[in-house]
Amino acid sequence: MSASTLTPILLQSISTQLHSLSSPLFHFPTSRFSFNRKLKHPISSKPASILTPHAALSDPFVLQIAETFEDSLSSSTTPSPLQKLRDSSSESLLSLSWPTRKDEPFRFTDTSFIKSSEIQPITNPPQDSDFSGISLDTQLPYLTIIDGYIADSLSGLSGLPDGVFVGSLSKLPSDGMVKRVAEFVSNFEGDLFWSLNGVGAPDMVVVYVPEGCRVDTHLHLRYCSMKGSDFGSNKLPVSNPRVLVLVEKGGEVGIVEEFVGEDGNKCYWTNSVTEFIIGEGASVNHSYIQTQSLGAANIKWTSVRQDSGSTYKLVEFSSGGKLSRHNLHVQQVGPDTVTELSTLHLSINDQTQDLHSSLVLDHPRGYTNQLHKCIVAHPHGQAVFDGNVKVNRCAQQTDAGQLTRSLLLVPQATVNVKPNLQIIADDVKCSHGAAISDLELDQLFYFQARGIDQVTARKALVFSFGAEVIERIPVASLREKAKSHISELLDPTIENSIT
Amino acid sequence: MAMAHCYTCSISSNFFSNPKFHSNNSPPFPKLFTLSAIRLPQFRSNSLAVDSTTSYPLEKDDKKLLLQVNDLTAVIAESQQTILNGVNLTVYEGEVHAIMGKNGSGKSTLSKVLVGHPDYEVTGGTMTFKGQNLLEMDPEERSLSGIFMSFQSPVAIPGVSNADFLNMAYNARQRKLGLPELGPIEFFSHVYSKLDLVNMKMDFLNRNVNEGFSGGERKRNEILQLAVLGADLAILDEIDSGLDIDALQDVAKAVNGLLTSNNSVLMITHYQRLLEYIKPAYIHIMRYTTLSFEVP
Ligand SMILES: Nc1ncnc2c1ncn2[C@@H]1O[C@H](COP(=O)(O)OP(=O)(O)O)[C@@H](O)[C@H]1O
Ligand SMILES: [Mg+2]
Repeated sequence: MSASTLTPILLQSISTQLHSLSSPLFHFPTSRFSFNRKLKHPISSKPASILTPHAALSDPFVLQIAETFEDSLSSSTTPSPLQKLRDSSSESLLSLSWPTRKDEPFRFTDTSFIKSSEIQPITNPPQDSDFSGISLDTQLPYLTIIDGYIADSLSGLSGLPDGVFVGSLSKLPSDGMVKRVAEFVSNFEGDLFWSLNGVGAPDMVVVYVPEGCRVDTHLHLRYCSMKGSDFGSNKLPVSNPRVLVLVEKGGEVGIVEEFVGEDGNKCYWTNSVTEFIIGEGASVNHSYIQTQSLGAANIKWTSVRQDSGSTYKLVEFSSGGKLSRHNLHVQQVGPDTVTELSTLHLSINDQTQDLHSSLVLDHPRGYTNQLHKCIVAHPHGQAVFDGNVKVNRCAQQTDAGQLTRSLLLVPQATVNVKPNLQIIADDVKCSHGAAISDLELDQLFYFQARGIDQVTARKALVFSFGAEVIERIPVASLREKAKSHISELLDPTIENSIT
Repeated sequence: MAMAHCYTCSISSNFFSNPKFHSNNSPPFPKLFTLSAIRLPQFRSNSLAVDSTTSYPLEKDDKKLLLQVNDLTAVIAESQQTILNGVNLTVYEGEVHAIMGKNGSGKSTLSKVLVGHPDYEVTGGTMTFKGQNLLEMDPEERSLSGIFMSFQSPVAIPGVSNADFLNMAYNARQRKLGLPELGPIEFFSHVYSKLDLVNMKMDFLNRNVNEGFSGGERKRNEILQLAVLGADLAILDEIDSGLDIDALQDVAKAVNGLLTSNNSVLMITHYQRLLEYIKPAYIHIMRYTTLSFEVP
């Protein structure tokens, strides 16, 4: 039995800061409460000092946010799975503190601007009359979630097969389904943001695909942020969208999650969680597209549970937000799974794009492939990637590949990448690598030698770097939209960098 | 490093079959070229007469002077190491020239310097093309003014399709000529007609530039680009290497098909084989030697 951690050689380009994350993996706190709290406002109604020994671990700032979240929720009856989520999340929060740069998972990701803002939960579901500014350009069945609340009048779900449910947990058609959903609620512990979402989520959107049901279209979940504060006001409206996707044995579905903001630099914080429960032999094609306002904080959790023979494919494209952090956790619970993760992050402005992914393989014959790419084109722009793939003892004959490539287009642009394959099983096939570069001069010259000017050549090369990921977006209209969005963002940057 | 060598154009018998050569029985100027890296004092007097710019008229038998390189010296930009040291070369329109020489003698370097590769810095001498000073032109301007260099090892460009790449290059040329640019669909039909020239299938255009191409496919792709873009001077660097005999004939046929009385070819090779298919009027030798000086 051999244990090995492979850390690739990182190519450092001139005038580029490169930090390799080197500390050991962060372990999520797993402490739990032993008593059952039924109080509406458990945190605020008990002085923190009573909660020993946990009180010593509690972060007053975190407790304060949790309290405002709880206060913001309506007092109407809560479906039991959501109540269960709130309870367990409240408990977790008591031992979690706001992350600092000293905590390994946030070593390169500064969340202090959220902390220093006045955090305001969005209490009221949006009114239909507010929707005038929201455009609807999708041919797919769609559900709009505004500031964490389902907007029925902006949703069109026709075209889905019988038995497929998409909507609020409170509207699940049968007790059987409610029970089924309850089995998977709060089975996983993320970090502080995961738990904050669990406390603050006003609703839970459920996507249910019954056994053997193949949905031959993608379902478009459109997350819109309407309540934003003006830049400099120091107010940060926060929403906590929560989604559970449950695909039973042999089912198939495509899910598009698109996060869009209002135009401009509005400030808000979207703190979302999406969970995927993928049954035996089932398949999920997941697209995550994030183009939030440049004043926004976008913190997202994606947790995936893959049963035997199941497939999960993710294509992620993220270019918005002042701070965008994606926490992705994939847990294999049976053999013969297929997992493909592709990410393109663009930091064209003074912004951070961060992917922290962990893939845990505990069963034989899994296939995983991860491709992470980022383009940083601003002196204060940053990309962070911490990708952990853990091939545990029982995961024999795993085939795991991981590759990260960064393109830094301006001096001082920063990237922090830590691809990391931990292999404990001994019969596995693994490959990984990391490269950081400017554009290849030989490629640039080839264009010029054919009469193509530098600006056009650079655009084509930068574009092609991103195209490798964009081409994997399974919906043509979204692919084209992403492409034109990238051109819009990159063209001026490249033109400025030449002249 | 390339080394001084003065070579009188003593073309062996099989090269005399070039009709242009015959039609030009007593050329008014000696076909004497020096492609050298280190100039030797003893060759100076010999070379000077040849090198002198004034010794080349702007027209020769009604043919216009196309490329003139005089006493060109260049260094590797990174190390400042001398790599070309006194190269002379004159090409009139309608002429086929060949540069031969051993591996590492500087043939590719010369062709890359001519088209402005950033790995090299010109430290002395002149290069003019159609009367324009090449040294003052960006690589893309050199290309647009009519020099095409087919690379010995063309790079792959993942993520950019052959069709898109050619379309960009074609449109750059059209812009320069003040002609309308072609959209992807019009361009596709334009370029489609050229595929037969290099004996390639349609899917060739949809593949990414040189990505996963065999050596032969890369060479054919270079010739396809030449066919689509056209050139007054085509510099073909080792267009024959790595080709089997069929592919070589294809490529040679394509090149011969593109030759007119107005455009010229500068072939670089270290095999005589190619010269049997594309017949040069002039052969220059790039000689590599480090220790001794040789006089032919
Ligand atoms: N960019 C470069 N950096 C370092 N050495 C180079 C570079 N270009 C060419 N050389 C060296 O110069 C010599 C001539 O190379 P080249 O022009 O490719 O020769 P040829 O084409 O005649 O085979 C070789 O020794 C080669 O290694
Ligand atoms: Mg060569």
